[in-house]
Amino acid sequence: MPRIPYSVILRAHRENSLLPLLLKECRTIDSARNELRWLREAVQEKQSLPTNWSRLRSMCRLRSKGVPLQYLLGNQPFGDLEILCHQGVLIPRPETESYTYKSAQLVQKIKRKPETKLRILDLCTGTGCISLLLHALLAPHFQDLSITGVDISPVALGLAQKNLQHNIKLDQLVLQAATDIQFHRADVLGNGSDTLVSIRSLLQTLGRPSQPSEHLQYDLLISNPPYISRAEFRNGTTARSVRLFEPELALVPPSVSEDGRPEDIFYHRILSLALELKTPITVLECGDMAQAQRVVTLHERLAGNNDFSAEIWPRHERDLAEYGFHETDGSRCVIIQRL
Amino acid sequence: MVVFNTSPLDDTDLVNWNMLGFRTICGRLQPRLWQLSPLRAVHTASDPTVSPALLTRARLLAAEHTKLSDRLGESFDSKIAKRAGELAPIADVLKEWVTANESISELKSLLEDPDTDAELRSLAIEDLESSHGTLPAISDRLKKSLIPRHPFANMPCLLEIRPGAGGDEAGLFASEMLRMYMALCSRRGLRPTILKQDTEVGASDDRLTEAVLEVEADGAYDILRTESGVHRVQRVPATETKGRTHTSAVSVMVLPSFSETASEMDNALNFEDPSSDYYIDPQEVRVEKMRAGGAGGQHVNKTESAIRLTHIPTNTVVSMQDERSQQANRRKAWQILRAKIAEARQEAREQELVQLRRGILGGVAKMGRGDKIRTYNFGQSRCTDHRTGVTIHNLDSVMDGGDGLDTVMESVRVWMDNSEVEAMIAEDMAKQTDVK
Repeated sequence: MPRIPYSVILRAHRENSLLPLLLKECRTIDSARNELRWLREAVQEKQSLPTNWSRLRSMCRLRSKGVPLQYLLGNQPFGDLEILCHQGVLIPRPETESYTYKSAQLVQKIKRKPETKLRILDLCTGTGCISLLLHALLAPHFQDLSITGVDISPVALGLAQKNLQHNIKLDQLVLQAATDIQFHRADVLGNGSDTLVSIRSLLQTLGRPSQPSEHLQYDLLISNPPYISRAEFRNGTTARSVRLFEPELALVPPSVSEDGRPEDIFYHRILSLALELKTPITVLECGDMAQAQRVVTLHERLAGNNDFSAEIWPRHERDLAEYGFHETDGSRCVIIQRL
Repeated sequence: MVVFNTSPLDDTDLVNWNMLGFRTICGRLQPRLWQLSPLRAVHTASDPTVSPALLTRARLLAAEHTKLSDRLGESFDSKIAKRAGELAPIADVLKEWVTANESISELKSLLEDPDTDAELRSLAIEDLESSHGTLPAISDRLKKSLIPRHPFANMPCLLEIRPGAGGDEAGLFASEMLRMYMALCSRRGLRPTILKQDTEVGASDDRLTEAVLEVEADGAYDILRTESGVHRVQRVPATETKGRTHTSAVSVMVLPSFSETASEMDNALNFEDPSSDYYIDPQEVRVEKMRAGGAGGQHVNKTESAIRLTHIPTNTVVSMQDERSQQANRRKAWQILRAKIAEARQEAREQELVQLRRGILGGVAKMGRGDKIRTYNFGQSRCTDHRTGVTIHNLDSVMDGGDGLDTVMESVRVWMDNSEVEAMIAEDMAKQTDVK
């Protein structure tokens, strides 16, 4: 990472003695100014005057050590929702927000009959942000909606449940969401054990009681699984703040001896599951262009025939600019549609 | 017999009397400034006669009001009710005007009648004088009721403040002006919220680089539109070491604020309707989110979500980064963009009208957004509005958003109404000469 010029630090200091602390994570004065304002607003909301400044300063110090702003403030906006955040659960990213909006558009385009039941499966749900935003976006258009969020982490599932209640209280989700959205614990990779069910057995128990062997039909399978390789976690590609303070469980897939790269392991499992479930739309977040390309190739190998379209999104200049994606760098998602 | 409007001498006296009244309401006029505008004395709004053309206009509208009221008696329709409500004041004041004139002519005929006895005669003279006293005020109200309502008059507004020439000092004064308008709006219950505030955080004071205040109350546009233009400040800045007075400028723009759901708006103001004057084709707006190279997704955790909208045909650019939420930044940016474009289109239309009028009147005073409208002089503790010439000698009551500012704004409102009436009369005169 390039060093911040001394002149910039000096200028920041002259403006406000707390700004240089924030500059360490923010890198630009504009962004540091914004964070200072947000922290100040958060402190003013809760506290009486005399302790304000020392509280603000201690928050800025924590921030300079790399503690994510969202853990300090306790939340992150996601669409119009307010997602609560705390240590141990991955913070929702703006790219994921874009993929969620895109997925909601796709669902509306493909499923024209609003009276039929719409089922969505969200794997590795974390804070539950994708499930909750999809409900907020689709509930006005579909009367019968069911969204299942799955995660391996009990901490994440607890937070997801809290987020569901929190956004109903904020009036960002309709009351119906409390029954439409369900969070379950399951292992997407493993085969299950006494204490942890595998994703397949979970789906079976969720299936029709009359025919236990048969799965439910899902209209959309969406996932933001861990996708960072061990090397990229250590070599500086992953930001210090993320590496030190966000859960490794949500970022780096476990090394399982199998063919292909270990960081792609979740895509193997989720793609074969999608084929089995015959989901019409599958949306997978990927770390970069190269990984997205590998996922497309992998899907072609697994699916075999030409019954699918698989595209990397966003790709066109207008989408890239509108959603804030760099032309070549940064995250992408893969959208697979059954033709 | 004393009849004001028959003798040209009395006519001018009346005008001057009115100007004095104006003075007492508005504070002290700067003599130099009001001598500079001889135009005002030619056709003031307080001429007790109402030109035939304006009278015809008033009668037509009053007739429309009667027709609509009859129809409302049969069945209720919210659109008709709205229009009738708009016309009602015209019909009322016209009725008052007609009654006043009738009583004057009755009294006159009574006086002309040789059979009238002396006691009745003296009573009639008294009544006539009092009728003549009230007639100018009624005429004035009649003329003002005929001023077409500004298309944005009922709307909430955005107030944009930007420092102009003058560097740090302009930025400091801009943030003081933001406080001034916040205080004014809170005091008058107009519900102000800061939509956007870009500052350089200083050691002691904040220097504003740009601010947009949203004033949610309906009709806020009409109340605050007196404030559009360049405000000048003259004082010794805190940073000045040699005690010299500096002059800096801050520009203020008042824009109409469109509600987010377009369907709640009137048809003419529905920005989603392609036939509306304020429609913006989404295809013509370039949306850009701030983007950075390098790793993304789970690898990093960026907290900023700046967005920039560009209206390509007019090259109007709005950027927004104040909120943590992408959606909120997007919404606010759109709100400001819509407001700016609507105001620009309305201004263009007004400009066309001004061009037309200029041919008739040789330049009706219309201040554009580039004109200097007011000076705040701290050394002399005064605030002078250059459109009306009003000076307030208690600068604090202006800067606190208090009575002082109310007085200045009220004087501008009267001035605006008068210019509108002048323009209407000029137009009607022109129409008459065309007919001849």
